[in-house]
Amino acid sequence: MSEVYKRELVYLVTAVITVIMFVEYFFLGTWQLAETLRTYATIIANIALGLGAITLVVSHAKKIQRRAAGVWAFSAWLLIFLAISFLSGLAGWAMTGSGQGNPMYDWFFRYVYTPLGQTLYPITGFYIFSACYRAFRARNIDAALLLIAGCFVILTNAPVGGAIWGGFPIIGRWFLDYGQVPGMRTFLIVGAFGMLAYGFRALLGRERGFYGEVAGGE
Amino acid sequence: MAFILLIVAFALFYLYMYLGKQGKEIWVRTLPAMAAIPEAVGRCAEMGRPLYWTPGIAGNLNDSTQGPQVLASISILGYIARECVRAGVKIDAFCPIPDALPLVEETLRTAYLAEGRPEEFSKDMITFISGQSPYLTGTLGYFQRERPASTILIGGFYYESVVIGEAGNTIGAFQIGGTNNTHQMPFLIATCDYMLLAEELFAAGASISRDPDLLGSIKGEDILKFIFLGLMTVGFILGLGNVTFLIDLLRM
Repeated sequence: MSEVYKRELVYLVTAVITVIMFVEYFFLGTWQLAETLRTYATIIANIALGLGAITLVVSHAKKIQRRAAGVWAFSAWLLIFLAISFLSGLAGWAMTGSGQGNPMYDWFFRYVYTPLGQTLYPITGFYIFSACYRAFRARNIDAALLLIAGCFVILTNAPVGGAIWGGFPIIGRWFLDYGQVPGMRTFLIVGAFGMLAYGFRALLGRERGFYGEVAGGE
Repeated sequence: MAFILLIVAFALFYLYMYLGKQGKEIWVRTLPAMAAIPEAVGRCAEMGRPLYWTPGIAGNLNDSTQGPQVLASISILGYIARECVRAGVKIDAFCPIPDALPLVEETLRTAYLAEGRPEEFSKDMITFISGQSPYLTGTLGYFQRERPASTILIGGFYYESVVIGEAGNTIGAFQIGGTNNTHQMPFLIATCDYMLLAEELFAAGASISRDPDLLGSIKGEDILKFIFLGLMTVGFILGLGNVTFLIDLLRM
């Protein structure tokens, strides 16, 4: 099949599926055909996960083979743990007959993966702190206003604010309810319009960036 | 009512796309973040360091709110990649979303092919790390080792936006961000030099192409904004008089 036909086929499939989803949402409530298509989407996503794992193995195996400076040892660790988690899942399945929730795999997930993830999450606090420091430097009038509003919100959320002066939480809540909420809702609404226009272009086959075509090309 | 509004929106998009195709001049402002991409690539070329791109890990392609953002990010990646190929800059794409991986690969491959250097494309440019925490630690380690001169954080983000953004600042990278996730916008604004806010993310691809047909849809979007602004103003005034006709109509 030529490249042109392949591309046209992609546009056609996109358009047909979009129409099916529209018909289901606006006129039918639930439609078995649409439900089946969503199941296919999940299956394809899972196949892509397997593809991702293969890409990962190939990419890191190459790094080890080339002894890529500074990273090959990490690649080796990655492959070792990939093999351990894969084999533990397989062994657990062989012992219990369950692909999900077998004790060996669960142990790795609960006592290795989750605690490591939980350890990383709190460092976000430090990153937020340093980002706030940069954002709150009163370099111009806008930044100064942000700093003032930010101080009130901090004193609203910190119990000490209310203890210092009862007005802090009231002013802070005003900033949150009447300053932040309308602003965020504005972004939500215009973001939805943007998504709608993007979807429309994709539906017509005019938004081609994600089909592999390159925007900005001559 | 939602269906009628959708048809009105589509009709507007189509009308302006048609007018654009017919040769009517359609002016859409240049997005500063997109105009800054050649600067980001140039910086990498001058410093001899790579460019980092990531679409975030907020959701897969079949996620109704995050998927379009990832697709829009991949559309922009095509443009970035072409700029990188022209300038001889290495691009490192960190894609933590498995179903977006083939699209990223195809986009990069096409960009190299379009610039006449298909032999320079390598799958090693794409790093896949599943899971939010591993993706973050992988990125932080990469920043320290490779010290990219510019980073592009455009797509659907969760808390990784502040971590990657701040880590990029620590290494002095020139940063361009963009997301439609309102809860992450402040972090990207605080950490990035340029930012694509909300609908700008979706308009970026059309904005780069300067194709009057595509620009027409953005113009239609602007008209739609005015219509909704009008509806909100009327609703506000009616609401003051306890008239709920418009609200009831829109709820239908």
